[in-house]
Amino acid sequence: MGRTQSDLLDMESKMPWHSRFDLLGITFLVFLGSALGALPSIEGSGRDLDYLGNLSRFLSQFFPPDWSILDRTLSGLLETIQIALVSTLLAILLSFLISLGASRNVAPLWLLWPTRMLLNMIRTIPSLLWALIAVVIVGSNSLAGVIALTFYSVGYLAKFFSETFESTDLSAQSALKSLGAGPLQAFQYGLWPNARPIIWSHCLWMLEYNIRSASIIGYVGAGGIGLHLKLYAESAESWNKFSLVLLCILVVVTLLDFTGEKIRHAIRKKLDGVAAQKH
Amino acid sequence: MSRPSTLLEARNIGLRLEERWLFRNLSFSIPTGAFISLTGPSGVGKTSLLRILSRELSPTEGELFCPLDPAPKKAMIFQDLQLAEGASSLTNVLSGSLGKYSSIKTLFGFPQKEKERGLILLRELGLEMKSNQWASTLSRGERQRLAICRTLLSHPTLLFADEPVASLDSEWADKTLATLLDSQTKKGGSIICSLHDELQVQQFSNYILRLNPSDPSSWSWEEPNPIS
Repeated sequence: MGRTQSDLLDMESKMPWHSRFDLLGITFLVFLGSALGALPSIEGSGRDLDYLGNLSRFLSQFFPPDWSILDRTLSGLLETIQIALVSTLLAILLSFLISLGASRNVAPLWLLWPTRMLLNMIRTIPSLLWALIAVVIVGSNSLAGVIALTFYSVGYLAKFFSETFESTDLSAQSALKSLGAGPLQAFQYGLWPNARPIIWSHCLWMLEYNIRSASIIGYVGAGGIGLHLKLYAESAESWNKFSLVLLCILVVVTLLDFTGEKIRHAIRKKLDGVAAQKH
Repeated sequence: MSRPSTLLEARNIGLRLEERWLFRNLSFSIPTGAFISLTGPSGVGKTSLLRILSRELSPTEGELFCPLDPAPKKAMIFQDLQLAEGASSLTNVLSGSLGKYSSIKTLFGFPQKEKERGLILLRELGLEMKSNQWASTLSRGERQRLAICRTLLSHPTLLFADEPVASLDSEWADKTLATLLDSQTKKGGSIICSLHDELQVQQFSNYILRLNPSDPSSWSWEEPNPIS
């Protein structure tokens, strides 16, 4: 016999109050409470400023952008892209080796945990801090940028690579072993072809990310377009030059985002291929 | 003419899975140059028997006996194919030959003569135009033929094939079985192949092993075209 609506309401009212909260609800409440609790500590200067007036005056100095510095900006951007390319290449090579040590299905336990700890530590340091460290060591130049972004990227790429190796279909690898292939051969021709497209997608993403990062690390002296940003921001009446640099970065990053996304999508689609027919 | 030598002998083998006997007291021998069909309805234990013969699985009772020393080289064509999806068809085929070479030799590719053999096999099974395509982009039937090429390139003496033509139309199925038969028997190897289609069973087999789902002990061994 079905229960009436009032029975159900009655039953619900007798359930303990906290049974309505799950992990999502609790974490959301904790977050909201903490954010509201933090509000009183966020203070302005205390002076009575004309915020909107300040903003419009400031932004009006951005326009029109100063196109006379286009050549200089483009060569700065080129240096930024070169820093990103070289650091991504180095990071890919290092990450490949390190990721093998961080993959559960490849590395022994004694190697697995130290490698993962190392990667966690590398990821803790933000790219700007890596840049500062590199500038202190090799001076203010683009080499510092390459060193900084290489270390920064390894923290992420090696993690992505090892996750890819762990989630890749292992059946081809074991099939080759049963046909007489050695462990390295089975990895190279069985596991690697299945992991490679995903790994390349991660590499492309990292390259995009590094071009964005390389635009800012110049701010602390690690080469590239960031240095231009810093100079224009610190000298008087140069906000129209600053805006041109921003505009150029925006165009490059947008183009890159768009192309990268298209390529990654095409790779995934090709690998999934006729998956529907396979099962 | 001398009696054909035996590659492998099954002596009273039986397999019990989840409280049920799939087959019992199974005894037969696999001579050289033979095409043996393994048949019976789905779930009767054909895949399990192939896995026992390839020593991937141990029988519950009985034993396998191999009179040759060293033991003949074995290979299996898997029902789920197990291809490297992101590698080209040719690379998939060539990886069947890995056992013949050291890791160093195959680190940067395969020897030219293997490539030629691989391409010949691909052409025989109608895949020559797809040699550079990733395995993931092929149709189910093409993938099945690709897996067969890969296993053939490993040159096994004993080839176990788990429903190797299940996804092929009858024309390609006949052609593929003929290729398997030809490549195995002309070098003194044998093939044990699970098949569903009775016409194919009759057309290609030297011996037929039929498993019976209602009585695990009443399997039958037929010799329509025995090796003399």
